[in-house]
Amino acid sequence: MTGWTRRQFGYLAGAMSIGALRPLAARGQAKAQVIVIGGGVGGATAAKYLALGSEALDVTLVEPKTRYTTCFFSNLYLAGLRSLESLTHGYETLAQRYGVKVIHDSVTTIDPVAKNVSLEGGAKLSYDRVVLAPGIAFKAGAIDGYDAAAIEIMPHAWTAGSQTSLLRRQLESMEDGGVFVLVAPPDPFRCPPGPYERASLIAYYFKQYKPRAKILILDAKDTFFAQDVFEDGWSRHYRGMIEWLPGQFTGGIKALDVKGRLIKTVGDTFKADVANVIPAQEAGRLAHQTHLVDQSGWCPIDPMTFESKLQPGIHIIGDAAKAGNMAKSAFASNSQAKVCAFAILAALTGSERFAPHLFNTCFTLLAPDDAVTSAISYGAEPETIKVNDFFLSKVGDKAETRRAAAREANGWYAAFTHDIFG
Amino acid sequence: MPGGSTAVPATAGHRHTALSLHLIIALSMVASLVVSVAEHSFAADNDQGAQLAATCAACHRLDGRDKGIPSIVGLSEEQFATAMRAYKSGERSGPIMQTMARSLSNEEIQILARYFAARGKETQRQ
Repeated sequence: MTGWTRRQFGYLAGAMSIGALRPLAARGQAKAQVIVIGGGVGGATAAKYLALGSEALDVTLVEPKTRYTTCFFSNLYLAGLRSLESLTHGYETLAQRYGVKVIHDSVTTIDPVAKNVSLEGGAKLSYDRVVLAPGIAFKAGAIDGYDAAAIEIMPHAWTAGSQTSLLRRQLESMEDGGVFVLVAPPDPFRCPPGPYERASLIAYYFKQYKPRAKILILDAKDTFFAQDVFEDGWSRHYRGMIEWLPGQFTGGIKALDVKGRLIKTVGDTFKADVANVIPAQEAGRLAHQTHLVDQSGWCPIDPMTFESKLQPGIHIIGDAAKAGNMAKSAFASNSQAKVCAFAILAALTGSERFAPHLFNTCFTLLAPDDAVTSAISYGAEPETIKVNDFFLSKVGDKAETRRAAAREANGWYAAFTHDIFG
Repeated sequence: MPGGSTAVPATAGHRHTALSLHLIIALSMVASLVVSVAEHSFAADNDQGAQLAATCAACHRLDGRDKGIPSIVGLSEEQFATAMRAYKSGERSGPIMQTMARSLSNEEIQILARYFAARGKETQRQ
């Protein structure tokens, strides 16, 4: 079969007849309306692939911010290894090259019965399908004393941007010999290796500029992702600098005294010079408000399409989705967005459907020249998503393997953000 | 960050303002044709090859550029399929690619091989 010839002929024929105009737009036919809410990794990827997949759709992306800073790789910024600008992307290419209509506004309500979306600016948009990519919210009341004011003193820095630069400034102004306390959240949360990569890279920064500083991780959990690989890396690179205390040791994090920079567990009180409190998480606000969330705090979905099990016509992708055993990561969100986009294209344009492929890859830096990788392929089943195949770097890998992975990580960032925004 | 492949042909016509009207029209028709082909090289292209290739695009740029992760655009059908089969069997090392290759059926590998070979020819022409 010569798919190439067939496709190429199609483009040429289309281009000959109407120049650079798009056929349906030229004829003014009514198009199906898809509204993507949230311009993070999942939302931006979905918008791009929906627009790429068919000219019979009008794709609108609603996102309040004009620039998006990626959470992934922001630990490199905290370590002084990358600028925040290098992690920041705009939506111009989605609009100009792919024809996505980008609206910078906030969604106030989604009406799943009338099938419309209301914006803060007053507009009301009708839809055939909604893709909601709301990301995470932090659970209120999980830690006593954790509120909007506390966030400005003990940042979470778990959505990138001003929170991340606040934490960086605090680390820079901390005295040598100070204690940095990182409060790690209970499962499930965004980016399972993230808190531990953060501890590693902040240790890298301390080792150069504040060699007497200490890092204390107070964890809600008793174990964490790739624990042996991290602990091995910490003892090789930052001996004696990082201490990790599991939930069973501390009894769990109970309260914060923001003024005193104190973190209270069941049995102890820890004094921090800089505190990074990453609280328990759940699906973003709009998901709760639209009744897309179950008791778990996340959004149940059909694994083949990512359509909500609670509200038809609304698809949820990314960290907010309850996607079986899939990790909550940028890579997973990007993978889900594609599966979701192809399912919507099939539903609205009659295009053929194929077996979905769900995948996750992750590069985690223990030091700038020591990266750990993981790769997971998943199988979508009617009720859940299961791990089919799994790879994770091991203790005792050759140094050159880890160095090569660190080089690859930078290439991956460039290609991945190009896939989303470029 | 524009993907480069569309930018040069799209502006080529504007540099020839001193040329005859016919030539300008001809040039801009060619330019718009090239833009249209380039934009649609992946657009409105929702077949199985394109859907599978979307997974590859999370690490490998599909405009043929390479910034640390090797480009897979431009490999011949045989080169691509041979490499993927070697990853799948474990004969070729690289744990991420091995995991990826094992998630694909032999038929899917062949579909991808055809897709990328075709994209390579298209990228070369621009």
